[in-house]
Amino acid sequence: MMIESNNKKKSNSLWNMLSSMKLTLTLLILLAITSIFGTLIPQQQEAMKFAQGLSPGLLRFFELLGLFDLYHSLWFRAIIALLALNLVICSINRLPTTLRLFRAPSRTDRSKPFENLPPERSFLVKGGIEDVGRHVANFLRKRYRGVLIKSTPEKSYLYAERGRYSYFGVYFVHFSILLILMGGIIGSVFGFDAYVNILEGGTVDTVVLRRDMTPMKLGFSVHCEKFSVEYYENGSPKEFRSDLSFHKEGTLPLKGSLLMNQPFTFGGITFYQSSYGSIPSKVHLKIQKEGSDLGELVIEVETGETFSVPGSESQIQVEDAVSNLNGMMGPAALISVKPKEGEEIRFWVFQDIERLSKQYPEAMLQAPRMNPSSFKPYTFFLQNLESRSYTGLQANKDPGVSLVWLGCFIMVAGFFMTFFTSHRKIWVRISKSEEEARISVAGRTNSNPLTLEKELDLVTGQLHKLLDKEGKKI
Amino acid sequence: MINSVILSYTTFVYFASFMLYLIMMVMGKEIMGRVASLLTIGGLIAHTVAIILRWVESYQMGIGHAPLSNWYESLVFFAWAMIFFYVLIEWRIRNRSIGTFASLLALLIMAYASSSSVDSQIQPLIPVLKSNWLITHVITCFVGYAAFGIGFCLSLLYLVKKLDNPKKKNIFIKVIPDSDILDELNYQMIIIGFILLTLGIITGAVWAHSAWGRYWGWDPKETWSFITWLVYAAVLHSRMIRGWQGKRMAIFSMIGFFCVIFTYYGVNFILSGLHSYAT
Repeated sequence: MMIESNNKKKSNSLWNMLSSMKLTLTLLILLAITSIFGTLIPQQQEAMKFAQGLSPGLLRFFELLGLFDLYHSLWFRAIIALLALNLVICSINRLPTTLRLFRAPSRTDRSKPFENLPPERSFLVKGGIEDVGRHVANFLRKRYRGVLIKSTPEKSYLYAERGRYSYFGVYFVHFSILLILMGGIIGSVFGFDAYVNILEGGTVDTVVLRRDMTPMKLGFSVHCEKFSVEYYENGSPKEFRSDLSFHKEGTLPLKGSLLMNQPFTFGGITFYQSSYGSIPSKVHLKIQKEGSDLGELVIEVETGETFSVPGSESQIQVEDAVSNLNGMMGPAALISVKPKEGEEIRFWVFQDIERLSKQYPEAMLQAPRMNPSSFKPYTFFLQNLESRSYTGLQANKDPGVSLVWLGCFIMVAGFFMTFFTSHRKIWVRISKSEEEARISVAGRTNSNPLTLEKELDLVTGQLHKLLDKEGKKI
Repeated sequence: MINSVILSYTTFVYFASFMLYLIMMVMGKEIMGRVASLLTIGGLIAHTVAIILRWVESYQMGIGHAPLSNWYESLVFFAWAMIFFYVLIEWRIRNRSIGTFASLLALLIMAYASSSSVDSQIQPLIPVLKSNWLITHVITCFVGYAAFGIGFCLSLLYLVKKLDNPKKKNIFIKVIPDSDILDELNYQMIIIGFILLTLGIITGAVWAHSAWGRYWGWDPKETWSFITWLVYAAVLHSRMIRGWQGKRMAIFSMIGFFCVIFTYYGVNFILSGLHSYAT
């Protein structure tokens, strides 16, 4: 028996702790403070550079706590989960009280609200209390539902109320937070977040998942017909636009334009315009052979393509082409020559060779990796790099998002219920005072005392006016 | 551009009303307060006209958009909303003492906006800002910030009022309204600010979802608005704990406003993120 009651006490104290407002405050502040750290420590992709500057011990500590992806770490999620638990338990705890308040019978004859009544809430009118009572009842019925009356020959009480449902506003707000969290969880479990670059004129059927950088089949293919950027006069971008078409086997292709702020959904996957750029594709090369009447040989090749030159059996390939090597050396192509025998030769060829020869020491440009004459007896020149633009798309699926929007809507509705509505109870007492009747107006509210005061002023004023008019008729 | 000229004159008007409110507070001269109020209302009208003119001017330039799209325009709107709230409150509680702080805050914001470090040119909208959500998002956020700003002024006044000592006859403190009124008003401002901040975050999320494909991405601006939201959520909950009203709430509300300022200013200039076009 002893043990049982002890256990009960223990579980009770745990329950009490989880349902305490102090825990709510602690968790809210804790969440705020830990969130601050996430904005100070570089997160995810940006974390690399920062991490290199840390000592090994510190790095291990950061990694252990998941500080490079703080908002997705277990402990950060645990705080949110604890807050959700706290919120649920608080709601359960408060529900009986709320229901009692909501269901509480209206008490018509109460004298307590009339204690310390300010004088302006009371006035005298001509007429008997029955007549006056009828007029007051009619007045109240126009403004409120469920007007109650209790009369004695000496005194008459009228009761009206409004906004009983306001007790539930806070439940809506708290429920909405759970909905939003649920939407977030559904999105991260059943949704995905991916990206893909499509060359102008190109087609893709696979996207790359950001979560683990693995490819994923779309189940259909996306073709980019055109990508364009419009500019303002001052040179800042005006519009990014991708003209796409979506092809699925057995259906007609669907055309769609993608703009910033204007995503396109196909097959349950939504595409967003996220970036753009260009990559070199075709390389224009000029090749001279020393001491030969070959003259100049001009060829156009795609990167990766292999070709050969007259007088040599070597396989030549443009391995790579970049529009600006090392960020300052300008357009360059990496040539790789595989002779029939012997070692492979690889060297860069620059388009801006004249500028470079002025900027850099000659020895550097004579190095085998930089020398356009590394493959004797030929000399390579890069004449031009053709580039193709590509559009960078974000491809997402998030089945939780509608739940999030529903949660947001309920939250705002709940705020209005909580903060701008209140349970207002109004009593009107009519008491006999010789030939006249004394009208007193009083009220009670669960929140927003100022709103109640205004309402009482209004009711008193209008009643006074109405009853004066009725009094004159008699 | 005529709008920036009007706006820089408005700054001087707010400076004048600040001085007059201050004289009223220190010397207890009611007439000074009345003149200050008139000036403030005049400033608000000029301020409103300038914002509308700027809107019209952008259309004349052929790049028409609401004047809520860059750092300068956001500062101007922030100050406008602050003065707007203040005028409402002055009219409601018939007390001018809050004016000293409200006009000072608006003056500082406007002076900073008019300084050479802020570009006041009307710029065309970059693609990401071309959205119907721009107006709703910016208005809800900044009117919310302004409500918190007034809450900050009220908290400051509350703490000053608490220095009251019946022995000393300090006019400065005498003209401040009752601390209960300040507390209640502060609470109301926080409620308004909190609802608007929530709406601002929601509209931002909807916008981000249509522009970037995610409604929440923990970028510094988003995170700091979330931190601000948490702090004010804590303020609202703390009111239900006995002993947390009054002084503690005033301090708490001031901390909340520092978060607002950091969300607005700090994130743009100290941290970097997707919202950097607002700089």
